[in-house]
Amino acid sequence: MMKAPVGGAKHQLLPSCSAIALLAALALPMQAQAAGTRAGSTISNTASASFDTGGGSTTINSNQVDLLVDELLDVTVDSSNPADVPTTPGATGQVLTFSVTNNGNGVENFVLSTIANAGGDNYDPVVTQIYIDNGDGVFDAGTDTLYTPGANDPELDPDESVTVFVVATTPGTVVDGNRGIVSLVATAVTGTGDPGDSFAGMGEGGGDAVVGSTGADGTDAGAFIVSAATVTLVKSAVVTNTLGTADPIPGATITYTIVATVAGSGSVSGLAITDNIPADTSYVAGSITLGGVAQSDAVDADAGDYNGTRINVALGTVAGGQTRTVTFRTTID
Amino acid sequence: MRTALFLLFAALLPGQALAANQVALANDVFVERVSTDAQGKQRILLEEPKVVVPGDRLVFVLNYRNAGAQPADKFVITNPLPAAVRFADAGDTRPLVSIDGGRDWGQLDQLTVTMADGTRRAAQPDDVTHIRWAFQKPIPAGASGKLMFRGVVK
Repeated sequence: MMKAPVGGAKHQLLPSCSAIALLAALALPMQAQAAGTRAGSTISNTASASFDTGGGSTTINSNQVDLLVDELLDVTVDSSNPADVPTTPGATGQVLTFSVTNNGNGVENFVLSTIANAGGDNYDPVVTQIYIDNGDGVFDAGTDTLYTPGANDPELDPDESVTVFVVATTPGTVVDGNRGIVSLVATAVTGTGDPGDSFAGMGEGGGDAVVGSTGADGTDAGAFIVSAATVTLVKSAVVTNTLGTADPIPGATITYTIVATVAGSGSVSGLAITDNIPADTSYVAGSITLGGVAQSDAVDADAGDYNGTRINVALGTVAGGQTRTVTFRTTID
Repeated sequence: MRTALFLLFAALLPGQALAANQVALANDVFVERVSTDAQGKQRILLEEPKVVVPGDRLVFVLNYRNAGAQPADKFVITNPLPAAVRFADAGDTRPLVSIDGGRDWGQLDQLTVTMADGTRRAAQPDDVTHIRWAFQKPIPAGASGKLMFRGVVK
């Protein structure tokens, strides 16, 4: 028989693991847990009862139930690049940054790998190395650790994260605006599978290792975006002479105009325009202009110079969508 | 299916290891799992705690039995909550709880927690440290019963 205690409450006890209670339990959202109780620890439960059967108060203890907490295998990977990382055709040492977090409750090693050919992009970056950060969050091949699968799979405590750098080469064939995706995959060394799968005795502390909600593997994608620029040069010439005509007679002046147009989402650096003075013509001293501004013939602070055989105008870095106009004059000998 | 079995067992088993004074308290712990069958219908199973991981729901079952010849008066059962377990509920057994290590007791909805800034907030299941059932009538000789509560492995 079941004795229901009276007082404060009506005691319908366990068999009333009732429909209402079950429904309430089902309605609870399944929360993502932080790492939680460490694998290998013991949960011990003992209850006590005190009572008086006529001889004064007596206290007895129940049996003790000990539960060994098993290891939950969970890992997440997150791209740390807030936006696509700019790259250029043929560039090497291009870096994507990820963080790998052990969401399980035991210390665990994780195998890292990359996927660059999953599609959904314009090209496949060529992954050359994976590096494990030394803790400063900044990629430096000299101080970060080159990753070799199976040799130095990062070991993470519960809730610990590590920054991982994926280094890739951009193929030379890509063009401006192309996007290349690389995913980093981290898998628990102990094993992966469907949530709830377990590996007997392989958990930290001697318990089982149980695959958590992440499947014990995690992945996230980062992307490169090709930011290239092309330069187009258009040269034109106008002849003037003392006759007021456009005839190229001796003594006539030729005004050359060179327009450099940069197109694309990137920019070009170190752009310079050089043009040899044609035979049978003579350079008109001090005639170089850039954007309508006169340039001296000397190599000095301004962009233009003339060295006796050619003019040169150093334009430096020019972003896509911009133009630069250079002019100079010669006379026909 | 297994649920029913376990519940049946739990209900039928007499308190283990009867003490000399003939009042016994037995403690069993089960893991509550939700399984979904092919029809998408969810079932709750109580399983033996062979595998326990953070987030699991544990069902603590306390069986008491007065096998002596005298009624047991002032019968109080106290269960300190294991530190790694967050109290969830006690079904409809409405126990007293403590949120301060067993000093003060009350219904959970009557207790408050003092915050660092001096304000008070209502106690939450998270705050519970002990659970207690105080019986107002003696347990007659030969009588037995069962109490339960649920907790989540932190």
